[in-house]
Amino acid sequence: MANARALDKRRKSIRNIRKITRTMELIATARYKKAMDRAHAVTAYTDRLSQIVSSLAAAGTEVDHPLLQPRENPKAVRVLVLSSNRGLCGGYNAGVLRATMPRIQELESSIGSVSVDVSGKRGINGLKFRGVETAENYTQFEDQPAYDEVEKIASGYLEQYITGQFDRLDVIYTKFISTSRQIATIETLLPFGSFDEEISGAGASEDSSSQSQFEFLPTAQSILEEVVPTSFKAKLFKCFLDAAVSEQVARMIAMKGATESAGDMINQLSMTYNRARQSQITGEIMEIIGGVEALKS
Amino acid sequence: MALRCVVVTPERNQLDREAEYVSLPMFDGELGVMQGRSPMIGRLGFGTMRLQTAAGPERYYIDGGFAHVEDNVVNVLTGKAVPVDLLDAEEAREALAAALELPSNSPEETQLKASAVMRARGQLRAAR
Repeated sequence: MANARALDKRRKSIRNIRKITRTMELIATARYKKAMDRAHAVTAYTDRLSQIVSSLAAAGTEVDHPLLQPRENPKAVRVLVLSSNRGLCGGYNAGVLRATMPRIQELESSIGSVSVDVSGKRGINGLKFRGVETAENYTQFEDQPAYDEVEKIASGYLEQYITGQFDRLDVIYTKFISTSRQIATIETLLPFGSFDEEISGAGASEDSSSQSQFEFLPTAQSILEEVVPTSFKAKLFKCFLDAAVSEQVARMIAMKGATESAGDMINQLSMTYNRARQSQITGEIMEIIGGVEALKS
Repeated sequence: MALRCVVVTPERNQLDREAEYVSLPMFDGELGVMQGRSPMIGRLGFGTMRLQTAAGPERYYIDGGFAHVEDNVVNVLTGKAVPVDLLDAEEAREALAAALELPSNSPEETQLKASAVMRARGQLRAAR
């Protein structure tokens, strides 16, 4: 039987760890709620944008924009990986990296020139360990990514895409589906294919809704030219927000698990400790009785 | 029933209030909207949006985007909307100087420079 004192010491340290993990869980929960509110705000923005898009489609505007056209024989690809700055969030970063590696290898074999941008220290270190060279590293994004910062990155990408420095942009991030489900996903943001689906879907559903005739200032075409980059920026921002929300959820769940198993461990240790203490007491009593017996005879 | 003015940025719903008159900074100048305006979608430039509310006038700097007017509701979609009082004229002046320094060797670069200069000028005008 182990030493009772050592067991007690261990139990105390586990109790301290449990305190820490519980606090981290609470912090993650609070941050998750904040991040979620922001995600809702961006949804309001994108909803209004798609309203405009559907009005444009209803007015019979031809959708033709350099950002929407897939390029033949792409020569260079840009990959953006969104991970977290901090660990202790379960399989969050591992999931992203696991999705990243095969994609990078596939792109390298099919297209050749791949440059990788990473956000988050965990992703930077993970890719360095796997021997992937990274072009741009961002570590400024925490649980509340600022639109200003994301917009800078998005404008940079747009500029480089238009000037032909790369022909395709893939973003790998953790998509938030529900509190119990987040999946590491790969999306091709440039060429901006999802916009096409949006506009065709919006055009189809438009017949039943409002019939008002819009006046376009200056022209529908010019508005469309502006809407496409804006939607791209909003989409990229949404990716960042989704990643932030997923990170907080992952941390919340991981810390909840840690707190629970610390509790289990404490229970088990308490039992062993009590047994050890009891056996120590029994041993001492036996010694006393033995001594008394010896004196009697 | 007066106009309802809603300003939405990707980060949050900046503003949602009733106004009697809204003046929007369009790409080519100001456009006033009053009750009963016919539906419109327009491109915004960089400049000041003015609201005439029951509580008094309000002014915001708008950083490009779109305006969508329908059924007496003015929706403004923009990257940034800042109350004019919070703008810093000095910062805007620096931004303008930096924008004027940008290279313009190709058509794309010229376009980028033009929009950067326009943005800085709009900020400077709003900050005054």
